Amino acid sequence: MAENHVRAPRTRLRSRVRVVGRRVVVVAVVVLQLVFVARGYWSNHKPFAFQMFPESSTWRASVVRVTADGGRIPIELPWAGYRWDQLVRDRGLSYPSVRGHADSGLDNQLAFLQAALEWVARNTPRDRQTRYLEATVTAWHNSDPPRVEVLRSRPREVGE
Amino acid sequence: MTAAAASAPARVRGLVAGFDELLGRAVSMRAFALLRVLAGPAVLLHLQPFLSDALAGRIYRDAFYEPYVAWYPELPRALYVGLLVLAAVAALAMSIGFLTRLTTATTFVIVSYNLFLSTTHFHNNRAYLVIVLALLTAAPCGRELSLDAWIRRRRGSPALDPSAPGWPLWLLRFECAAVYAASGTSKLVDPDWFGGTVTWQRVVQARDELDPLPHWAVSVLTDRGFHTVAAKLIVLTELFIAAGLWSPRTRYAAVWVAVAFHLAIEGSASVQVFSYLGIAVLVIWAVPRTRDRVLRIDPTNGRHRQLGAAVRGLDWLARFRVEAAAPGSRLEVADRDGTTIRGAPAAAFALSRLPLTAWFALPVLLLPAIRRARPQ
Repeated sequence: MAENHVRAPRTRLRSRVRVVGRRVVVVAVVVLQLVFVARGYWSNHKPFAFQMFPESSTWRASVVRVTADGGRIPIELPWAGYRWDQLVRDRGLSYPSVRGHADSGLDNQLAFLQAALEWVARNTPRDRQTRYLEATVTAWHNSDPPRVEVLRSRPREVGE
Repeated sequence: MTAAAASAPARVRGLVAGFDELLGRAVSMRAFALLRVLAGPAVLLHLQPFLSDALAGRIYRDAFYEPYVAWYPELPRALYVGLLVLAAVAALAMSIGFLTRLTTATTFVIVSYNLFLSTTHFHNNRAYLVIVLALLTAAPCGRELSLDAWIRRRRGSPALDPSAPGWPLWLLRFECAAVYAASGTSKLVDPDWFGGTVTWQRVVQARDELDPLPHWAVSVLTDRGFHTVAAKLIVLTELFIAAGLWSPRTRYAAVWVAVAFHLAIEGSASVQVFSYLGIAVLVIWAVPRTRDRVLRIDPTNGRHRQLGAAVRGLDWLARFRVEAAAPGSRLEVADRDGTTIRGAPAAAFALSRLPLTAWFALPVLLLPAIRRARPQ
């Protein structure tokens, strides 16, 4: 009898916790999803915003390695045993000199290109010449006239 | 304090209680069980490029990648590849319903871990897959259509209750509608999209791929005026699906349009597992009750027997009980509201409620002869 008295409030508590937990999870997921959808309108990356085929924008870039002595060498030429198309294989960035579609929008594409420049600059330790990588981007946002912008990686330490 | 002010907290309490009742209401998990079966192949398709790279000795960090946050844990190469293999095995086990809770959770955790390793891994179809796996993990979806259930039967153990609190189902319905609504709204508010510029330019950019089409079709597809109308149709289609799925009056139309929409996308763009997953998820819009319709067949009639066998084999959402009627009886379907339909319209109706044949049979229900057969 005494045991039943103890169990009943416990069962009620567990049930109450379950009900409130359910409510919290559902409301949290709904709110989070709406936040992600809203965030898609201003963020370069749009996870869970579900903006499909957002633009017809295209882009191309002339990417060069700027060396310590001021040389500007296109990344189409292999260097120190590296090749750009092997270092950057995803998100339509393997052949930047070829005009291509910005699949997830121009801002997203250029954010990826900027990140790729940084990654290559950081992850090519055998390269002792390159000071930084630079991309001169020509971008066509839908039917707008082209705009040109320059993206650069952070400067690297150059070996003697 | 006025009476209105005093009743406001009571009204809020009532709303919260109603909301809790909805979330906790026991509903059939049959649609989730079917979705679980269908999700396995989607996961395998999704993992395929990662696994083939891994077999070739390459993983994500051998080339450009970009973590979302610096502290995200990265595993040793062998362990990472092992996890991908484990995910594939778990997806297979999830699909057949073996140790369902464990294998579904394992699949969800590894697929999510892999997605969040790098911004470059992100695609909308993968995000949708993660959402689906999360909600399959939250629901007891292994009590039917599973090896687990078969093993229980073989051991003589009683079957587990196939119904459960409905909140994962309602949440997945919300997510499903949100995908179409978000996509449609983003296009609606973009003048370039709604005006047709985006679709027109994409077609013109891909002009070479249109060569197999007849000249007149190419001429239409590359016409700017065509896209002024087509873009609006696309946007309205997405918004119709998002809204139409919620009402029982428009649900079948929305599902039909959604399947056609996904097939059109699959035919015109590379969207990884999105088309397959998008169509598979539509099963969750079935009313979450089972065996609440009756198909009565004359067992001496060959055609009736064929239809009975088709319904037994293809009724993956368990919507029908198939019963034998007296010899010489007409084919009959008793719907869940008690109305009965007889003869060919009953066959069309039954086929319109089976996942595999619904898309073909639903338009038949619009024929005047069939409509007349169903009492209003």
